[in-house]
Amino acid sequence: MGDVFPPQPLTFAVTSDVVDRFYRATGDDDAVRKGPSRKAPSMIASIYLVDLLMARGSPPGGIHAKQSIRFHRSLAVGEDLSLQATVVDKYVRKQRPYVVSEFEARGKDGCLVSSGRITSIWGRDQ
Amino acid sequence: MSAHVAPDSPTNAGRALPTLRRHVDQASIDAYAEASGDFNPIHVDPEYAKSGPFGRTIAHGLMTLAFVAQLLNTWSDDRFDEEGEIDIAFVGPLFAGETVEVGGEVEEAFERDGASWVRVKLLATAGERRILAGIAVLPAGS
Repeated sequence: MGDVFPPQPLTFAVTSDVVDRFYRATGDDDAVRKGPSRKAPSMIASIYLVDLLMARGSPPGGIHAKQSIRFHRSLAVGEDLSLQATVVDKYVRKQRPYVVSEFEARGKDGCLVSSGRITSIWGRDQ
Repeated sequence: MSAHVAPDSPTNAGRALPTLRRHVDQASIDAYAEASGDFNPIHVDPEYAKSGPFGRTIAHGLMTLAFVAQLLNTWSDDRFDEEGEIDIAFVGPLFAGETVEVGGEVEEAFERDGASWVRVKLLATAGERRILAGIAVLPAGS
């Protein structure tokens, strides 16, 4: 508990390519058709949260159990985000190890873009 | 405190959001893995998944969450993207080859900082199985 990951904040670039791939992978064809003028979806968080979880270094086979997110403002294509999380709880339920982390994503101005809590079931160590 | 809303407002308590349906197959799971960089073998490796807790590959939970965001943004003219909040649990696996249906119902309209907001109860299902459940809070708009 209290572990901060990664030790130095990750940078996530909200590029047009990242946004396009997100829209295509989630079947949002209307958004793809809007072209380069479209805004970035806040739920691009579902992409940058993966980067954060990978930075935590959990073994393969883990499962995402719960997720809360608060979006503090809309997001533009071309922004860079700074990401970091802290482990705030660990517990075992039904013989499964759970890890709870709180994250923050901030814009270049340091202001919050999103924040929330990730609850994961830890994967099996190899 | 309850917000004042018109009798036929789509933000009245009890009003259902339109249902969003997405068919998910291994190709779409693989596409989401490519987009997100999450190549966890329980999603993308059918051989590995056979020995896992579900016996076959499952979609990323965050992929289902992205579908939920699509529903909320379509319903709210993108107000969820601006100031939305969501709190959900992934309560069941979504297997490759299944169709997920994402829906919601307005639980409550309320005032916050002088503006109207709504709380929406969310549910995603695949057939009779529950995949995701939770709530979202977002500006109700004018």
